[in-house]
Amino acid sequence: MKLSISIHWRRKETHYRLALTKCRACGRVSFGERKVCPYCGSKDVTTLIPSGTGTLLSYSVSYFRREGDEEFLPRITCLVKLDEGAIVPGELVDVDPDEVYIGMKVEAVLRRYSSDDPYGLIYYGLKFIPFLKG
Amino acid sequence: MQKVYVTAAAMTKVGRHFNLGFKELAYEVVERVIEESGGEAPDYLIVSSTLAALQCHQLDVSTIVAQALGLSGRRRIPSIRVETGESSGAAAVEIAVAMVRSGMAKKVLVVGFEKMTEYPSAKVNADYSKILDYELEVMRNVTPPNYAAMIMKDYMRRYGVSREDLTSWPVRMHENASRNPLAQLPFKISKDAVLKAQVISEPITLLDSFPLGDGAAALMIAGGDFIPPGSEGVEVLTTCSSTSTPLYLRDELASLPATASLRKVADAVLPSGWRKDAAVQVHDSYSIYGVLALEALGFAEPGQGYRVVEELEYLNPGGGLKARGHPIGATPIYGMCELYALMMEGFAGLSFSGSYGLVHSMSGPDYNSRLIILKR
Repeated sequence: MKLSISIHWRRKETHYRLALTKCRACGRVSFGERKVCPYCGSKDVTTLIPSGTGTLLSYSVSYFRREGDEEFLPRITCLVKLDEGAIVPGELVDVDPDEVYIGMKVEAVLRRYSSDDPYGLIYYGLKFIPFLKG
Repeated sequence: MQKVYVTAAAMTKVGRHFNLGFKELAYEVVERVIEESGGEAPDYLIVSSTLAALQCHQLDVSTIVAQALGLSGRRRIPSIRVETGESSGAAAVEIAVAMVRSGMAKKVLVVGFEKMTEYPSAKVNADYSKILDYELEVMRNVTPPNYAAMIMKDYMRRYGVSREDLTSWPVRMHENASRNPLAQLPFKISKDAVLKAQVISEPITLLDSFPLGDGAAALMIAGGDFIPPGSEGVEVLTTCSSTSTPLYLRDELASLPATASLRKVADAVLPSGWRKDAAVQVHDSYSIYGVLALEALGFAEPGQGYRVVEELEYLNPGGGLKARGHPIGATPIYGMCELYALMMEGFAGLSFSGSYGLVHSMSGPDYNSRLIILKR
């Protein structure tokens, strides 16, 4: 058993809603729920739930094999700049690698992260797909 | 404050040592270092391993190493284990130097090891990926080579550098390793081989990445007052380290901010023009990191690092992480051993006429960075 219910559940706002930290002192927004602003050190921070849309800042088509994810290769790993300003690391799915380009509009959707195959827990969370709305 | 010296060093060949566990690897280098030190035992043992808990199922490895090597019984030598991701070995040296300089210990034995071949590479890769933030990065399937790939792409775009330009790094590292009998990959490669190798995380190929290999390396770090005159070895002028923000919080991808902050220490400690008088080891788990480290340490302007790779005579003389290999917890100690050998008697076909040696190490995309400055 490699996956833990509590480790994932504790970060459900991050994995299911991409929770951000907004700093009231410097105004910057950072990925993850934090008690301290990573930019200015202020503790005057609040949680911000983003809309889930953004643009592709960078990506790489990856064949790096890790235990349990061989069948999902290649993965497209990316950095997405959300419309709220924070940069989020993650995965881009449901798109041919040849059709991906920097600046592409993307949106977050629920997908499988990993699992304790064949009968164990499954981690779900948000990944990105090409923007479909509108 | 004590002056601090490296007085002995030893390393094993990096490779697939299926017949040797971490105890045997550590034994080989520790015995040689103690023998070089006149048979005298140290008064402290510092062990560096990054993956021991995940690859060897072993906690408290410093005690287990002390027990296995006969340092724990009658002599009861105290020990501690250090882990800071890929820079663990440099952190071990940092602590050893601080202990000796402060007078807490006279002689500290530092040993680093890693067993990278106990399991198939998919498990090693999964474990190694945990140098990143497990909750925010690893669980979201982001791995160290993915970040290196995005940094490399950003570098190429920002400075108009081609994929082929960046083959200068692995070609040079393999050329260096071809003269190092302890290297894991002691053979030359062509630019074309780099470009045509299996893709790991595009644009990074297999020949931009470090191989998986086992290894161990050890050093004796001693105080000047306790060394017979004439056998001081190489002085450790200073050690320094720094941390930086996760990659997704940075305004710029193609730079190493923690490493750049250490450059100021080197410039403050060393005389002007020191770069022409120095041998340097930089952390090159992926080609782009070697190039960026040279820029961050001031050996080249931003965007120009790949151009000086062939010019610097004393650059990663053993072949770097790329070709000597990267037994993670031991890697910076290999870097120290290679520069010690170079400065004492020459190494890998090179004789050194300069005065200074720099060992740089970092973890992941510069999440922490460390620098050790040597003088002979």
